[in-house]
Amino acid sequence: MSALREIEYRDALREAMAEEMRRDKRVFLLGEEVAEYNGAYKVSKGMLEEFGASRIIDTPISESGFAGMAIGAAMQGLRPIVEFMSWSFSLVAADPILNNAPKMLYMSGGQFGCPIVFRGNDGAGGQLGSTHSWCVEGMYSNVPGLKMAIPSTPDDAKGLLKTAIRDDDPVFFLESERMLGMKGHVPEGDEILVPFGKARTRREGTDCTIATWGRPVHFALEAAEALAKDGISCEVIDMRTIRPLDVGSVVRSVKKTSTCVVVDQSWSFGSPGSELASQVHRHCFDDLDNYVHRVHTADVPAPYAFNLEQEYLPNARKICEAVRAATYNA
Amino acid sequence: MPISVTMPRLSDTMEAGTIVRWNVKEGDEVTSGQVVADIETDKATMEMPVFDDGRIARLLVPAGQSVKVGTQIAVIAEEGESLESASKGGGSAAPVAAKPVAATPSAPAASAASSHAASASRDEESVTVGGQRVRVSPVARRMAEEHGIPLGSLQGSGPGGRIIKRDVLTAMENTASRPSAPVVAAPAANAQSLAVPVAPASRPSGGLVIAGLESERVAVSGMRQTIARRLVESKTTIPHYQVSMKFDLDRLMAVREQLNTELASTGIKLSVNDFIVRGCALAMARHPYVNSSWAGDAIAMHKQVNVGVAVALDESKGGGLVVAVIRDADRKSLRAISAESKAMGEKARTRGLAPEDMADSTFTVSNLGMFGVEHFTAIINPPNSAILACGAAIKQPVVRNDELTVGYEMTATLSSDHRVIDGAMAARWLKELKGLLENPATLLV
Repeated sequence: MSALREIEYRDALREAMAEEMRRDKRVFLLGEEVAEYNGAYKVSKGMLEEFGASRIIDTPISESGFAGMAIGAAMQGLRPIVEFMSWSFSLVAADPILNNAPKMLYMSGGQFGCPIVFRGNDGAGGQLGSTHSWCVEGMYSNVPGLKMAIPSTPDDAKGLLKTAIRDDDPVFFLESERMLGMKGHVPEGDEILVPFGKARTRREGTDCTIATWGRPVHFALEAAEALAKDGISCEVIDMRTIRPLDVGSVVRSVKKTSTCVVVDQSWSFGSPGSELASQVHRHCFDDLDNYVHRVHTADVPAPYAFNLEQEYLPNARKICEAVRAATYNA
Repeated sequence: MPISVTMPRLSDTMEAGTIVRWNVKEGDEVTSGQVVADIETDKATMEMPVFDDGRIARLLVPAGQSVKVGTQIAVIAEEGESLESASKGGGSAAPVAAKPVAATPSAPAASAASSHAASASRDEESVTVGGQRVRVSPVARRMAEEHGIPLGSLQGSGPGGRIIKRDVLTAMENTASRPSAPVVAAPAANAQSLAVPVAPASRPSGGLVIAGLESERVAVSGMRQTIARRLVESKTTIPHYQVSMKFDLDRLMAVREQLNTELASTGIKLSVNDFIVRGCALAMARHPYVNSSWAGDAIAMHKQVNVGVAVALDESKGGGLVVAVIRDADRKSLRAISAESKAMGEKARTRGLAPEDMADSTFTVSNLGMFGVEHFTAIINPPNSAILACGAAIKQPVVRNDELTVGYEMTATLSSDHRVIDGAMAARWLKELKGLLENPATLLV
């Protein structure tokens, strides 16, 4: 038996897209440099060769234009995948992606759906400065009608993206430049579908529930490892999707641990983290030993300096501090 | 104007009541005097009538929930008033409800949503100890409640003295490692009367948690708490001692059979216990100390003879014990005692006794004869000074006129408060009772 197959997060994304394109002729990819250049981050490497220029489409630097065009294609029955080089650049396409795609089914009285996937890098990439370091989940998940997935590992990246492409609603798929090179086991075969709204327990524990998603999952696991040495046992729950949000899994865990820390790399005000904390307070009111503690990105624009950026983001040290405070071990 | 219904004070000692059952639902018409709910107090389950006509706009406290006296529990819309406006007004109508105590804090919460009203009022109840606000985390509060640990007994280790889960766990461990703090929890109590439910007696000083034993936790009813509290108090503060005597009941059994045969058509059936109650009452005339109470610096010699009869409740419904009081038993005929005793027993087992049915006993009789028990001892029912524990009248070999023959004998044991009744006094009273029971004709006049 050979060792488990390990591939990079970016390869997992490519496998998902390629498999779905082979499976369904309506699926196509468009975005800046996805074709000739093999993708700005090499996610679409080799796809032009396999699928040709009619299905792997290089676009001008015009997010509003190509996002809007893709939405029109989706309304007409195709299944576009729109790659934003960074979600920071999607802001110029706010009108089509927020005002058209998620509302189309509703506003057309059910006549037009919008089966589209917007995907790209989210969050701080590493010294990209304030305007290119956006975490869009806080702002975008506020909109009803869309779905949002934020995978933290290669296998989930593949499984969730395949589910996203097959979904009939617009899916906002948030990847991370910092995780594209991360390796992980992804089983062979093309039927890895990860359902939306089903959290994954990454580590079991008894003293504190850490609920998080995306890149901070790895910070949380690091923190849990450190805390275990001090006898504090953390359960780490990877939410995987923000819309739908699997509150039930967190509630079941908190009923066991009585304390909860939510880690969210978006700003704290009006964020998925504040929503989750609020729901835990509601459903676990009589089970909580302390209020739900939260670790977020600092409430300032992303700094450029390396040390400041590290301090700005959620990290293992901050999570440890929050868990200690929540469990009265500060 | 919406009418506010508050938790009534149904007995002098009642501080909170549990809604056992609502007999009405929101929207139902009610008329003055209609029983809308059954309320469990520290003493009994009682029917709660309303005093106005109208329709139920809101039920603010769900069944099973305990709230303080004075807390708003329902809103009635007057005739012509819409349910909607009444239920909106119900919250602000708190001044109507605010008669006795602070009903106001829970009223605004109640108006927010009825489901939240419950937790809000419970909140208020448990976080106030001795008028002092106690900070406690929700899970700590819930665990303390489940394990019967009074919040006031805990020292909070959280910020600002907040009681947290860890504090409750520590208290539970301490309770488990300290074997049976109160005297009564010892196995010796097993041999005591039905007036002594063993396990719950340890409750007032903290729930007993035994590591390694799998147990189902059954919530303790108000009645069970009262039993536990009163009997621990009795057994630990009253110097009990017991004196037993055997009674020849041949003649009593014969008289009873004869009377029952003759009275059969009237539906009256005298029990052995009816004779005993009558006998005990008459025995007080010459031994008033047995019919008295220790009052600290004096002994209260009661001018009435009110004999309490212990009534066991259905075990399948959680058991329990109440004492039905036959007032002026020394002035009532056997037939009257029998009828009253039967009616009270029935009421106790079905609807529950009212506080006045259980008040003012001066002496108590506990009888386990119907189970074939030969002998047992009972715990004094405060403020009584004595209790008589009666076994069964058993047919057995006996010596009568120096001859061995077969006859009915009963053993009865008097538990006395030595502060009031000395050993010889107890013996003399028993001898008096023996004279009465063995010459049953004296009981008929």
